[in-house]
Amino acid sequence: MIQYMIKRIVIGVLSLFVLVGITFFLTRAIPGSPFESSNVSGEVLEMMENEYGLNDPVIVQYGTYLLHVIQGDFGYSYENPSQSVTSIIAEFLPVTIMTGGLALLLAIVTGVSFGIWMVVSKQKIIQRALFSGTILGTGIPNFVLALVLIFVFGVKFHWLPVAGGSEWESYILPVCSLAIYPASVICRMTAHLYKEEMKKEYVVLAKAKGMQWERIVWKHVLRHIWLPLFNYLGSAAAFLLTGSFAIESIFTIPGLGSQFVHAISNRDYTLIMGLTIFMGTVVISIQVLVDLLGAWIDPKIRRSYEGQ
Amino acid sequence: MSLLDIKNLCIWYENEDHRQVVSDLSFQIQKGEFVGLVGASGCGKSSAMLGIMGLLPENSGFSCERFLFRGEHYEKKIETLRGKKIAMVFQDPSAYLNPLLKIGQQLTETIRCHKTCTKKEAKERAMELLSMAGIHSPETRMNQYPFEISGGMRQRVVIAIALACEPDLVIADEPTTALDVTVQRQILDLLKTISQRTKTAILLVSHDLGVIASVCDRVLVMQEGKIVEEGTANQIFYEPQNPYTMQLVEKAKAVMSVAKKKEKGVLVLESKDIGCKFRERLRWNKTCTREALRQISFSMYHGETFGLVGESGCGKTTLARILTGILSPDFGKLWSKGKVQMVFQDPYASFDPGYTIEKILLEAIPKQADHTKEVEKMLQLVGLKPEDRWKYPREFSGGQRQRIAIARALMSCPEILILDEPVSALDISTQSQILKFLDDIQQETGISYLFISHDLNVVKHMSQRIAVMYLGTFMEMGDTASIYEDPWHPYTKQLLSAILVPDPKKAHRRKKLIVKEILKQEEGTEKGCPFAGQCGYAMTRCHTEFPDFYQFEDRQVRCFLYSEEHTGRRRAGAPMISQI
Ligand code: SF4
Repeated sequence: MIQYMIKRIVIGVLSLFVLVGITFFLTRAIPGSPFESSNVSGEVLEMMENEYGLNDPVIVQYGTYLLHVIQGDFGYSYENPSQSVTSIIAEFLPVTIMTGGLALLLAIVTGVSFGIWMVVSKQKIIQRALFSGTILGTGIPNFVLALVLIFVFGVKFHWLPVAGGSEWESYILPVCSLAIYPASVICRMTAHLYKEEMKKEYVVLAKAKGMQWERIVWKHVLRHIWLPLFNYLGSAAAFLLTGSFAIESIFTIPGLGSQFVHAISNRDYTLIMGLTIFMGTVVISIQVLVDLLGAWIDPKIRRSYEGQ
Repeated sequence: MSLLDIKNLCIWYENEDHRQVVSDLSFQIQKGEFVGLVGASGCGKSSAMLGIMGLLPENSGFSCERFLFRGEHYEKKIETLRGKKIAMVFQDPSAYLNPLLKIGQQLTETIRCHKTCTKKEAKERAMELLSMAGIHSPETRMNQYPFEISGGMRQRVVIAIALACEPDLVIADEPTTALDVTVQRQILDLLKTISQRTKTAILLVSHDLGVIASVCDRVLVMQEGKIVEEGTANQIFYEPQNPYTMQLVEKAKAVMSVAKKKEKGVLVLESKDIGCKFRERLRWNKTCTREALRQISFSMYHGETFGLVGESGCGKTTLARILTGILSPDFGKLWSKGKVQMVFQDPYASFDPGYTIEKILLEAIPKQADHTKEVEKMLQLVGLKPEDRWKYPREFSGGQRQRIAIARALMSCPEILILDEPVSALDISTQSQILKFLDDIQQETGISYLFISHDLNVVKHMSQRIAVMYLGTFMEMGDTASIYEDPWHPYTKQLLSAILVPDPKKAHRRKKLIVKEILKQEEGTEKGCPFAGQCGYAMTRCHTEFPDFYQFEDRQVRCFLYSEEHTGRRRAGAPMISQI
C-alpha cells in the first residue's frame, strides 16, 4: 500500500511541475507589465522591473522562482507588496473551502437520496420530474442558475440576501447554485447504479434473510454504489474546492476564485502562480485520495496490499 | 397439522402472453421432514420457491388460495415469515453473498434483524452457526470476505445464514448444482445432519435425481408448473406411477450404465509429458509461477471417446486449450493427425447473436461457392431442420443451441472433438438426447471425442477410457469399467465415492464422505504428490517426491503405493491389484 501511495504521489508532484512550467511561461507571455497601470514614469517603471527581476531572461526568472517555491516561498503580491501570496491564500481559502465543501456535501446527500427516490417512487410524475430536473441541472451553466436563483429568492420574494455578507444566509444561494450540477450528475448515476444493484443476487439473499428495505439499502447496496461514484466525486470535489470564478463574482464572495480573476486582470504574476500551484496541489491530492479510498473500499484490492 | 400447507398457488409473469409458470400448485410439508422437489429446468420450481418466500420480481403476479403455516393464514403477509420461519439457500453461493461485506457481518445482521441481542451475543451465535455448518476456525472466517474462501465453504456460510433464526423450514434451491462432486456430497450430508439434529423441515429442489435420492424421504415431481406425482422416495424411484416420473427415473438410471467397449482404431492424438506454467500475480509486486499442467501423457484412437474427469480448477480446460492449439505447451510434445475442434459448455456465449445459423456455421470454414448443401446436410446430421439455417441463436432452446455448436465444430471435418462440459447446463432429458446424438454422430463419422466433465455419471456413460485429473496432472488412467469398479488411486476412490446414484436404497447404505478441506495449494506442494495434503495413505516420501505414472498393462496410476519399493518385486506378468 505504501509503495503504491508513493508512486501515486511522485506522479502527482511531477505533473505539478509541468503545470507550474506551463503557467509560468504563459503568464510571462501576457503582453504588458504588472506596473504599467500604476501612475509611474518610465524611469521608475524600469527601476521597479529591475528590482523584481523582470528584465532577466525568462528562463532565469523561472529558475529563481522554482528555487523559491521549493523552499515554500511563493513571494509577495505585486499588487499588494505588503502581503505574501501565502497569507492571501490563507485569508481567502476558508471561505472557498466552506462554500465548496457545503456544496459537495449537499450534492452528495441530495444526489444519492433523489437518485434512489427516482427509482423506487411508484408515481410516474415524480420520476419524470426528477429526471427532467437532472437534465436541467446538468444542462444550464451554474452562473445562469445563480442569476435565476437571485432573481427568484432575492429580488422577487426577498427571502434571502442577494450578495456577499458575512451572515450565514448569504451563503445559501451560492452553495445551492454550486451544488446543482454535481447533484444532478450524482442523482442520475445513483439511479442507474441502484437499479443495477437491486437486481443482484445478494439483494435477494438479504431480502430472504428478512431484512427491511432501508437496512438492505443502507448496509448492502450503498457500498456498491459508492465505489463507482467515488471517481466522479473526485473531480467534483476538485472543481468545488478550488472556487468557482463565476459564482464567487456574482455573489461577491471573498474566495479564491474571485482572487484569481482579480490577479489575472492585474497581471499579478506571483499571485497567479501561487494560486495555480495551490489549486494544482488540491486537485492532484484529491485524485490521489480518491484512488486510495477506492482501493480501500474494495476488499479485494485492500487485501492484496495488506500484510506488507 | 402440517407445517406448510399450500393450495392452488399460481404464478405468472406479466409479459406478452401472461403464461402461468406455476399453475394450481398444491402440496404440504410436515414438521421435520426432508422433502425433495424434482423437475426439469423451466418447470417453474424456482418461481414457486421464490413465490413462497415472497421474493418474486416486480413484473410477476402471484395468487394463492391457501397459505397455511403452522395452521395460520399467511396469504397476505408472506414477508413476515421470511428469514425467521422460512429460510432459503440458493444455487450459486458466490453470487448471493455480498462481496464487499465480511462473512461475520452478513451472519450477525441476520441474527440481529430478528432478535434483540447485543453485538457480542450475535457474534457468539454466528460462530456457533458456522461450526454447525462444518466450518473450522469460525473466528478467522468471520473476518474474511467471500472471495477469500472456497465455493463449498461459501455455500456452508449461506446455510449458516439460513439457520440463523432457527427456522422451521429451509428451502434449498439447487444448493449443490454449482459445486464439485465431493463438495456436493458434503453439503448434502450437512443438510441431512441438520434436519436430523434440529428437526428443521427441508425442501430440497433439484433437477438431479441423484441428489434427491441420496437425502430425501418424500419426493414431489413437478412438470410444467404442476405436481404430477408425490410419494416416498422408494415409491418414486422403484414404483413410479406417472409416465413423466417413469421417464425421468429411467433416463437417470440409463446414464449410470458404462459405455460399450470398442476396438482400438488408429492413433489420432498423442501427447508426451506436456507441461504448462502460468505466472500468477500474488500481490502487485510479487509473482509466482504455478504449474497448471504437469507431465501429461496420453493417446487417443480413432472413433473412441476419452473421458477426462476432475474437479474445477484441476486444469481440464487448460489441457483442452492446449490440445486445440489456443495455448502452446511449455514442455513436452503433442502430435495429432487431423484438426481438433472444441465445443464449449455455454454455446450461446460463443455465438454472435446477430448472425443467422447459416452464417455461424460458415464461419468455421473457408469461403466456397456452394455451401448451402453442406449447411443443410450438417443441420440434418445434428437433428435440426434445414430451414433453421435462417434463424437466430436466441430462437433455440439450450439443447438445440448445443447441437448448433456441435454442428459448427463439425463443419471443418475435425478428427477430434473436444467437448468441454457439453451437457452440464442441461436438464436430464435434454442431456440424454444430446448424449445419444453424440453417440450417433460418432458411429457415422468415426470421430474421436475428448469428453470433459465433472459429472462422473455422464463421463462413465460416454467414454471407453478415462483419465482422472487432480491439480494439473493425471492421477489414474485406464479402462472406464475397471476404474469405476475398482479404483486404485486414493483420489479416484474419494471422487467415485462422492457419486450420487438415483437409487435411494443404495444411497442410504453409503457412508459419510469425509474430506479434509484444503484452502489453496500451499507453496511447496509442487515437490511432492499433489494429493498428499488430503491423502490418508500418505508416506514421508509422498511429501518430497513426485510419483511416477506407474503402468500395469492398460492401466496407469500415479501413486507411490504402486511403486516397486512399496509392493515389493513381483513376478513378471503378475496382475496388480488395488492397494487401498
Ligand atoms: S503418492 Fe502418497 S500421497 Fe499421493 S496418493 Fe499415493 S499414497 Fe497418497
